Amino acid sequence: MPMYGDLGNKLVQHAKRTQNLAHLPAYQTELVRAVTREVRDLDRDTKNLLEPFQGSFDPSADQATACTLLVNHLAMRRNKRCLLAYHRTRTDKLEELVWNGVDVLDLAGQQAGGANGAGVADGGAGGSSSLSPQEEDYFRQYGDLLAAYKGQWTDIDLTGSLEPPRDLFIDVRVLKDAGEIQTEYGAINLTKNSQFYVRQGDVDRLIAQGYLMKLG
Amino acid sequence: MDIDDILREVDPTFHAVPQEKRDLQDLTRAWVAERSAPELLPWPANGLFERINDAIKRQIEKVEEMTGDMDPKTNFALIVIQTELERYRYLVRSFLRARLAKIDRHALHYLSTDALRARLSDVELAYATRHQALLHNHYLSSFLSAFPANLQNLNDTAGGMSMIDAPDLETAVFIRLLKDTVVAGRGVDSDADVDGRESDIMILRWSDAKPLVEAGSAELV
Repeated sequence: MPMYGDLGNKLVQHAKRTQNLAHLPAYQTELVRAVTREVRDLDRDTKNLLEPFQGSFDPSADQATACTLLVNHLAMRRNKRCLLAYHRTRTDKLEELVWNGVDVLDLAGQQAGGANGAGVADGGAGGSSSLSPQEEDYFRQYGDLLAAYKGQWTDIDLTGSLEPPRDLFIDVRVLKDAGEIQTEYGAINLTKNSQFYVRQGDVDRLIAQGYLMKLG
Repeated sequence: MDIDDILREVDPTFHAVPQEKRDLQDLTRAWVAERSAPELLPWPANGLFERINDAIKRQIEKVEEMTGDMDPKTNFALIVIQTELERYRYLVRSFLRARLAKIDRHALHYLSTDALRARLSDVELAYATRHQALLHNHYLSSFLSAFPANLQNLNDTAGGMSMIDAPDLETAVFIRLLKDTVVAGRGVDSDADVDGRESDIMILRWSDAKPLVEAGSAELV
C-alpha cells in the first residue's frame, strides 16, 4: 500500500512543473480524485477509531490510537494543502492567460489545431481539453471579473504593457496575419512579414497576443 | 492629517507648484512606494485618482481635438502630449497592477480585518471579494466538496498554523530620509540605532521602516 501523501506529493510535483511551462499541462483528474479519496478514507478511519470511545477519548491512556489519529489528521491536512497548491498554481496560470487577452474560444481553437506558441493546449492530449470543466468555468468567470474591474479604468488600458514607454512610436514586424486595424492615422493592413512604424498604444494588444514583434 | 499632507509639508516646493504637478508627484511617489513595499499600502484617499482620471480624460479629448489639424506646429505639440499621456497611463497602470498582484497573492489576509480592508479602494475590495469567492467555488467544485465538512474551510487557524498567508514584513526595503531622524533597525545579532541625516539612503527591514514612512520622515525608493 502506498504511503499516505504519496499521491499528494505527485500533485505538488505537477504543480511545480507547471510553473515553468509556457502552456498548461492536462488536468490530473485521476490524481485529484485519488487524493480526495484518500482524505475521505482517512476521515472514515478516524471516525471508526473514535467510535468506541463515545467522545471520551483520553490520548495519554491509549497512545497508539492517539498516534494513529494524529498521523491521520496531519495526512488529511497535508493532502488538502497539496490539492490547494495544485489548483492555485493552475488558476494563477489561467489568470495570467486572461490578463494576456486569451479568449476561451481561442483556447478551444488552439486545442483543436494542436498546440502552438503560448497556447494552453497540451500537444499530447489529442484534442481533448487540458482544462477541467471547473477550470473552464473559472477562466470564464475570472474574465468577467477582470472586465468589470477594467471597466472602472476605461482610459487606462490595464492589460497594456508593463514596460515603461520610451517612444510614442515603435517599429513592429508582423508575425501573423492580423487583418486591418484602425488607428488615428488611418487603417493599416497587417500582413505577415511586413513592417510598420506605429503608435505603441495602438498595437500593445497585438504584441501581447503574438501577432506583432517589437523591433529595436 | 495624513501622510500626504506631511509629505507635502516637508516638500519645500509645495506652495509654488500647481495642483496638477503635485498630483503627478504624488502619483509617482505612490507608485514607487507601492512597488517597493512588501505589503499593500493604503489607497490614496484624497481624491488623487479622481483628479488624475479627469486629467487623463481632458488630455485624451485634447488629443482628439488636435488630431484633425494638419498644421505641423500642432502636430509637434500633439506628439508631446501623447507621449506624456502614455507615460501617465503607464504610471497608473503599473500602480494598479502592482496593487492587484499583492491583493491576489494574499487576498484572504487583506480581507480578514477591517483595518486591512480599509487599505483597499472600493473597486479593489469588490474585486478581491469576488475573486476569492470564485477561487473558493472553484476549489469546492474541483475537490473540496468531497471533503469531510470540518476540512472544507480555507481560513482554518487550528493547530497553531494559519491557512491565511500573510506578506513577509521583514523584507528589506530602501528608504530615503526626508528629515534628520533616528533610525532604529533590528539586526540578526544585535539592534542598532543610527542617526540619520536628511536624504540619507538606507536599507532595512520593512517592519522597521514602516513607522518612519508613515510618519513622513522617510520615503521608499
